[in-house]
Amino acid sequence: MLKVWAILMKECRSEWRTRYGLNAAILFAVTSLTAVTFAAGRIPDRPDILAALLWLTLLFAALSSMSHAFVREMEGRTMLLLRLVASPTEIAVGKLCFNLLFLVVVEAVTIPLFLLLTGAPSVRWSAFLGILGLGTVSLAASSTLVGAVIAQTRSRGALFAGVSLPLLLPVLAAGVAGTLAQWEGSEIAPYVKLLTAYAVALLGMSLLLYDHLWED
Amino acid sequence: MSATRVRVEAKGLSHRYGHRRTHIHELAFAFDGPGAVAVTGPNGSGKSTLLRIMAGLLRASAGTFELQVEGVSLKPGARRLALGLATPELSFYEEFSATENLVFAAQAHGLAAPAAAAAAALERVGLSPRANDLVAAYSSGMKQRLRLAFAMLHEPAVLLLDEPGSHLDDAGRAVVRSVVEHQASRGLVFIATNDPLERALAPREVSLDPAAREVTHA
Repeated sequence: MLKVWAILMKECRSEWRTRYGLNAAILFAVTSLTAVTFAAGRIPDRPDILAALLWLTLLFAALSSMSHAFVREMEGRTMLLLRLVASPTEIAVGKLCFNLLFLVVVEAVTIPLFLLLTGAPSVRWSAFLGILGLGTVSLAASSTLVGAVIAQTRSRGALFAGVSLPLLLPVLAAGVAGTLAQWEGSEIAPYVKLLTAYAVALLGMSLLLYDHLWED
Repeated sequence: MSATRVRVEAKGLSHRYGHRRTHIHELAFAFDGPGAVAVTGPNGSGKSTLLRIMAGLLRASAGTFELQVEGVSLKPGARRLALGLATPELSFYEEFSATENLVFAAQAHGLAAPAAAAAAALERVGLSPRANDLVAAYSSGMKQRLRLAFAMLHEPAVLLLDEPGSHLDDAGRAVVRSVVEHQASRGLVFIATNDPLERALAPREVSLDPAAREVTHA
């Protein structure tokens, strides 16, 4: 746990110094929400569109930065340093914790802005936060796993999009449907179960894979 | 200062990259510490590759490498605290200072006093006056000293130095000599080099030169 904590703190300090991802993510979220609001105005009567807009904004804001977690280590040639002080699993879990924290910060800025600008109907907070939290864990786990897998490949950028899509589609679908269900007052349990199972499966698979990823 | 009881042993060690063979072919050696060992051979013979295999970063195509510390054989994943590696391929976080880089490494190693370990390592390589400068502002010679500090930060039983004198001036080469002598008195140090001065620091040798394959056993 000490190594994971050290890697998490290193990631936070590095992000704070360089603002490599956070500025870009928040800028994307703010500009896309502002643009949609200018074009469509406040649309409280279209929760279907609002649910999709929320998840798309979160997804693209976060992925643009989280995909680089391992790529930065490869391009900065610092992966060797990490491998000399920690196991691949410890490195990846440290990165996963950072990606989770990163998403929470992006959401803390994006969601109040989203609710304010779009005029979204009142949310059922426990259901809304439950869906959001599970989706966040799944997003962070999948982007960390894909980032680790593609880190040593040549066409990392193109590969990230291609490999991420099948992993992210279930999260997006369940997230959008669950968010819509909480606005419509319908049952959210199926989406909670799906997102929970998916998050657990992704995390379990990741922990099994990480130690074999960077064997030359 | 008491010496650590350490032994390294390679049996039938071979490595190839795809179809390309290195000169690491059926390599066998055994060394007991304390002491220094030179790893020599022409460019491309596999000196750096051999150190990476020893560090557990690379899996050999065939054969075994064993590291024993105080009579206990360590698996590759458990070697991090027993091994220190300084290689030109090692880079640091440029947005951090030298101290911050080493404190992070010490924390990840689980050392009890990371800041003190980092300060001591930087002192030994003569980087204390610039310890709080960002690594981005370091010259290539200073980065090489930082690699040496990183490798010995946790006082490993075995130190692996790949071309340790590269980019260094006379004062820097004296630091390398001091580091090698210190490590050779308390554990094992392997120096991958073709520099005659660095070669002279090690009385024992693993040669990867196929024309003069000579393995000196401890």
